[in-house]
Amino acid sequence: MLSIRNLHVQVGARKILKGLDLEVSTGQMHAIMGPNGSGKSTLAGVLAGRDGYEVTQGSVLYQGQDLLAMSPEDRARAGVFLAFQYPVEIPGVNNAYLLKAALNAIRKQRGEPELDAFEFLGLVRQKLQLMQMDESLLNRSVNEGFSGGEKKRNEILQMAVLAPTLAVLDETDSGLDIDALRVVADGVNTMRDPARSIVLVTHYQRLLTYVVPDVVHVLLEGRILRSGDAGLALALEERGYDWVRREARVA
Amino acid sequence: MNARSGADPVERWREALERATPNDGTFSSQRAEAFARFAREGFPGARDEEWKYTSLRRLAVRDFAPADRETALAATLLPAPPFGPHRAVLVNGYLHTAGSTLDTCPVGLRVRSLARTAGEADASTWLRIPAGGGTARFAALNAAFCGDALLIEADRPVTTDAVLHLQIDALGDEATMSHPRVLVRLAAGAGLRLVVHYRGDDRAERFVNAVIDVDAGERSELQIYRLQEQGAKSFQIERIEAALAREARLVVRDASLGGSLARLDLRARLAGSGASAELTGLFLADGARHLDTQPRVEHAAGGTASVQDYRGIAAGRGRGVINSKVVVNEGAQKSVSRQTSRNLLLSPGAEIDTKPELEIRADDVQCNHGATTGQLDPAALFYLRSRGLDERAARSALTRAFAGAVFSRMDLEPFANAVHAEFDARLDRLLAEVA
Repeated sequence: MLSIRNLHVQVGARKILKGLDLEVSTGQMHAIMGPNGSGKSTLAGVLAGRDGYEVTQGSVLYQGQDLLAMSPEDRARAGVFLAFQYPVEIPGVNNAYLLKAALNAIRKQRGEPELDAFEFLGLVRQKLQLMQMDESLLNRSVNEGFSGGEKKRNEILQMAVLAPTLAVLDETDSGLDIDALRVVADGVNTMRDPARSIVLVTHYQRLLTYVVPDVVHVLLEGRILRSGDAGLALALEERGYDWVRREARVA
Repeated sequence: MNARSGADPVERWREALERATPNDGTFSSQRAEAFARFAREGFPGARDEEWKYTSLRRLAVRDFAPADRETALAATLLPAPPFGPHRAVLVNGYLHTAGSTLDTCPVGLRVRSLARTAGEADASTWLRIPAGGGTARFAALNAAFCGDALLIEADRPVTTDAVLHLQIDALGDEATMSHPRVLVRLAAGAGLRLVVHYRGDDRAERFVNAVIDVDAGERSELQIYRLQEQGAKSFQIERIEAALAREARLVVRDASLGGSLARLDLRARLAGSGASAELTGLFLADGARHLDTQPRVEHAAGGTASVQDYRGIAAGRGRGVINSKVVVNEGAQKSVSRQTSRNLLLSPGAEIDTKPELEIRADDVQCNHGATTGQLDPAALFYLRSRGLDERAARSALTRAFAGAVFSRMDLEPFANAVHAEFDARLDRLLAEVA
C-alpha cells in the first residue's frame, strides 16, 4: 500500500526527515509516535503534498505509484486522505459543498457516476450519526466557529464519507476531551477495513487505548528508530522516548 | 474613433455644446453656466487628491460626440432583465418611452422626464450640481449636456415594496458621450426599491457620465440595487448624491462589473437626526479593467448611523480603487459609523488601492474602519485540494465565498440572481485564462 524508502526532507536549510523507512501493508493500521519536533507533521504533510517541503532523497510509493509526483488533488482522488492537525476554517464554503465536490471528484476518478442529491444526503446522514454530529453542520461554513473537538470530528466525518484507501491522521487526538476522543476513536475503528490502511500520527498513547494499531513506530531524529506491536506504545507512555534514543545509538 | 492626443477636451466639448443645443435649448443659460463650472475646474489631473489612483488621460484624448435623441430612440433595445414590471429605459441619456412601462406605475410612484415637464420645473432643481470635489465637475458637465432628466417621485408608504427598474443603456455604432440624469424624490414616509442597471453593447467606445440625485424625506427609505455592466470599451463616471432628512434611510447594494474605466462617487449626506445609510457592494476588476468606487457618508446631524462595507476583487492586470470616507460634522454627536473594505488579488499583475478615511469634528461618536488586501489563503487552498478539488475549483470556491458575503445582502431575488450569474460567468472565464 505505502512504501517509504530512505526519505530525506528539509524545510529551508533545516533537515527534518533523515532517511525514514516505512512499509504499511494493505488492511493494516500503523501508529507513528514521537515527541514534538521529531518530524511527525512533516511526514504527514509530505504524504498529502503540502507546499514548503523539499524532498532531497528517497521515494514514496503508494499502490506502486510515485506519490511525490502527484498533485494534492490527484493524491486525494487516488484515495489518500489526510486528517489535518489544524483543520482550516473556510468562511463562505459550506460543508455540504465541500463533501459533495470532494466525493464526486473521487468518484469521477474511479469511473463512478456522481451521486445525486438524495443518495448524497443518505450517505452523509449515516456518517453524521456515526460521528454524533448534527445535520445542521452541512449548511455551516467549513470549520468556521467550530470548537477544537468539532473540527477533529469533522475531519473524521470527511474521512468516513470519502472512504479513502490510505488515511493519514495527523494528531487527530490532540485537543480532544475524553468524550470527543471516544467518538473519534469509534469513527476510526469503523473505518478499519481489509482494503484500507490507516496511519495514525500521534504524540500521546491515549488514543491507542481505544484504537489498537497493528504496528507502532517511534519517529525520532528524523527516522524510525524502533518498531513494535501495540505494547510499544505503552512502554513509551511509561518510559518516555530517551531509552529508544539510547538503544538506537548503542545499536 | 479619433484619438486626438494632446487636444483639450474642454474646448472640444464647448464647441460640441454650442452645436448640440440639448433638449431644444431648454435651460440654455443654466446649461452654459454648468459648462462654465466644468471648464473652470477642468479635467482632474494627477495632483488632484480625489483622482490620485484614477487617471482620466485615456478619456481626455478621446473624441466623443454628444448622443442625439433620434439615434438613441431608433436603437434596437437589448432584452430587459426581469427586475420587475415597472421599467424606465434611458438610451444614451434619453427616455425611451416605447421600451418603458411608465403608464403601469403603481399608485404613488411617478416617473416623468424633463422634456415634458420643463415648464413646471425649476432649473436650479433639475440641473442641480453637487458641491465638493470628486466627480462634481462631471455632474456639472452632465447638467450642461443631459438629454432627458428623469424625475422619479414616490409617496408610497415605506411598507410597500414596489420595485422600479431603471435601465440605463448605451447603444449604437457611434462613439458617443451620454449624460443620464435621474432625480429621485421620496416624500415623508415613502419607500422605494430602485434597480439601477447600466449596460452597453461593445460596438463602440463610449463615455457615460451619469448623475443620480436623491432627496429622501423624513422617515423615507430608498433601496438602490445597482448593477454596472457597462460595455467593455467604455468609460463611465457616475455621481450618486443623496440627502437624507430626519430618520430617512438609504440602502445601497452595488455590483460594479463592467466598463474599461469606471468611477463611482456614492455620497450620502445624513442631514436629519436619526438618518442612516448602509452602502455595500462588490467590484470585479478583471482583464485590464479599472474600477474606482468612492463611497462617502457625511454625518451632518446627531444620532445618525452609517455602514460602508465593500469587497473588491482584481485579476489579470485589473485595478481597483476603493476609497471610503466618513465625515462627522461639528455637533453631530452620537453618530455611529463603520467602514470595512476587504480586497482580494487573484493575480500578480492585479492591484487594489484602498484608503478608508475618517474626519471627525464631534467628540461623542463611535467610528471605526478597517481595510485588508490579500490573496486567497494558501492554507484553505491546500485544504480543498487535499480533499480532491482541483486548483481551479478550489480557487473558484474560495473566491465565490469571498463575494458571497455581499450577495447574501442583496435581498431582491431577481437582482441577486442576475449579479450572481454574471459574477460566476466572469469568474469562470478568468480562472480558465489563468489555468
